[in-house]
Amino acid sequence: MQLIFKYGTSFFLVLLCIVFSWLTLTPQDAFDASAAERIANQISQTTETSPSETTVLIAVRDNEAERSYAALLEKKLKAQGIEQITTATTAREGRQLLNQLQAENRALQTVAATQVTGSWLLFADLATDYPLHQHAKILVTSSRLWPNFLKYKNVSNVLNQISVIAIIAIGMTFVIIAGGIDLSVGSLIAFCSVITALLIRDYGGGDEASTLWLLIACGVGIGACGVIGAFSGGMVVGLDIPPFIVTLAMMLVASGLAFICSNGYAIPEVPEAFTWLGRGAAIKIGMFGGSAIEIPNAVCLTLVLYVIAHIVMSRTVLGRYVYAVGDNRQAAWLSGVPVKRVLMFTYILSGLLAGVGGVVLSSTFRSGEPTFGIMYELYVIAAVVVGGTSLTGGRGTVVGTLIGALLIGVINNGMNLLHVTAYWQKVILGLVILGAVLLDRLARSVPKTSSRMRQQESPKIETNGPNKSAGDNATKNA
Amino acid sequence: MKSFQIAIVTVALCIAGCSPTSDNTSDATPSGQGESRGTIGVSLLTLQNPFFQVIGDNITAEAAKHNYDVVVLSADDDIVKQGNHVKDFIVQNASAIVLSPCKSDAIGPIIKEANAAGIPVFTVDIPCRLPDVEIVSQIATDNYGGGREAATGMIEAFDGKGGDVAILHFAQAESCQLRVQGFLDGINEHNEKTEKKINVVATLEGGGKREIGGKATEDILQSNPNLAGIFAINDPSALGARAALEKAGVADQVVIIGFDGQPEGKQAIKEGKIYADPIQFPAKMGVEIVKAIVANSKGEEVESEILIPTYLYRQADGLKDPELQ
Repeated sequence: MQLIFKYGTSFFLVLLCIVFSWLTLTPQDAFDASAAERIANQISQTTETSPSETTVLIAVRDNEAERSYAALLEKKLKAQGIEQITTATTAREGRQLLNQLQAENRALQTVAATQVTGSWLLFADLATDYPLHQHAKILVTSSRLWPNFLKYKNVSNVLNQISVIAIIAIGMTFVIIAGGIDLSVGSLIAFCSVITALLIRDYGGGDEASTLWLLIACGVGIGACGVIGAFSGGMVVGLDIPPFIVTLAMMLVASGLAFICSNGYAIPEVPEAFTWLGRGAAIKIGMFGGSAIEIPNAVCLTLVLYVIAHIVMSRTVLGRYVYAVGDNRQAAWLSGVPVKRVLMFTYILSGLLAGVGGVVLSSTFRSGEPTFGIMYELYVIAAVVVGGTSLTGGRGTVVGTLIGALLIGVINNGMNLLHVTAYWQKVILGLVILGAVLLDRLARSVPKTSSRMRQQESPKIETNGPNKSAGDNATKNA
Repeated sequence: MKSFQIAIVTVALCIAGCSPTSDNTSDATPSGQGESRGTIGVSLLTLQNPFFQVIGDNITAEAAKHNYDVVVLSADDDIVKQGNHVKDFIVQNASAIVLSPCKSDAIGPIIKEANAAGIPVFTVDIPCRLPDVEIVSQIATDNYGGGREAATGMIEAFDGKGGDVAILHFAQAESCQLRVQGFLDGINEHNEKTEKKINVVATLEGGGKREIGGKATEDILQSNPNLAGIFAINDPSALGARAALEKAGVADQVVIIGFDGQPEGKQAIKEGKIYADPIQFPAKMGVEIVKAIVANSKGEEVESEILIPTYLYRQADGLKDPELQ
């Protein structure tokens, strides 16, 4: 029981995955060699005519996996002596083939279909439409029970969907652990998106832009967000204005600038190559069930950034400084920690990573939009908090943030697959975030006896209430 | 510690992996009553606008006649959300996908994903005109024809007299561009046949909303005090114009033609505040989409663009309409 509490959010995440897997169990078509073998055998065994006179129509959808399955099946059938095989990848094609067979007075014996193609209305009224083919049998590929939730495509989707939030959450984790907050990240996504697309369209040649120019444009966009981050940091550090207010103001400014620069319109004039980051998948590892397993580039980028962030947070001096500044700024300052520089670093990092998120999003949709990123700051903060980072500063991990982002992504995806209506989804997401944080809090307050006594003795800063001893930044509780 | 977490995850995956694998081959001829033929995934721009709600409801009702299940989702004007909807439809092996895109260009990569999965895509109301994207059919109102009907209504209201008219536009929507084009063509053709010409003196952004439409109307009245007619591209901006005219005390001398036929627009027509609206038929659009999906599934030819004509709804129609108070 204690272990369950100790690993709070992670346990919750695994539990959710199991639940969603169970609830989304559906028969899935099998497209591998053994499935093709089985169908080929079944066709040759059940057909009433001799192999050389048997006509088979293979009906599959027009995608890579099913086309290879069709080719495989054709090979297996030919090995059984069946030569008269045609393949249709759309109902239209299917109708043309049926017409052709009818015209040549060749009756169709079997249709080898999938779950989806077997339901084509083309095959629903064979008796009336094609009297010649009315005795054709429709065989559907053998199916395996497997959760839609755990389909490779779905897992890949979820990871891809959380990429933007996860990347930005790295910066937010640093900022919050150091005792601040950054509400401007959502608008910075839009700002970077517009600046990057604008540079590509107006100075890089639009659709014809070279890869070098794409990189330059992204660099400038991300850099501009870093500058805004630096501005926020400067206000917080230099003028001692609460981060909540500064970043709220910059959120409005950045959003306004994004709309001004784009005149409110989308900027889609970017080349196809630009979608490499958001849509490409450079790493392919093997095949499964007929389709290639690819890792989306955005997911690779996210993982790389997390590894770097984790190393910085846990193994470098800078990381220790961030924790120190967040935990007790006075003590850190007295100990010689360069507090102002550390804080500036966190805000600049948050700005830069928001820019990276903006680039990934624009890359996914091949467009610069001033309307991107609306409300994203809240989801990012939710991911950070659910991941165990305290809003009052001084505690948290980057790995925890990744788990928090995964949790939010898994909930959204699971609810979509279960067809939960949009209004209920909001309620459930809110409650689950609350639940995850509560579970995490419970985990912290289930102590061994000796440490409880230790807690009551020392005036250590606990996170359950207003931070009295640190003195500054009432906004830590924001 | 970490190993415990790894252990939990492994066990969970094993449980999921060992779930019953049934290897069934069915050779049923699929036309059974009550057995679902498949799922149609619908992602609409928003469900807050009754226009789209009616489309969604009609798709569901019509599709049920062919044993299709329908999932209707609202994208809430968020292209990212709409992208996620489509991805989920693909994962669930939807038989067809229906979209009213949030953004006509950014929806391109998303539709291409559905194309790559071999799922037929249909768009409703808002098109995607990108060249390398495959859409089976786009169903929309004949906006150009509606614009011409609006011109007919304006000419009819003017009853042979000439005068100045203004247009309240919403230029960023292709549908509105077509409406205005139709209106202008209709007016120009009329002008060629008569001495008493109708002049379009101003075209301002009405924003498609009451407040902006009202403000724009006030501005137009300042420079054109003899304004005789206003064509607004939708009902809210038409009603905003009416409010501004009433405030200026000139409501009786200006003819308003709106567009759309939303309940509040029809009510205003019945009360004589708006002269007429070319109205849209979202219910028909829903039915036509399903007909196109069915035809596509049968392997028949489907037209790449299906336009639903508008109808010029006048006060007489409003008085007969049982759905209005």
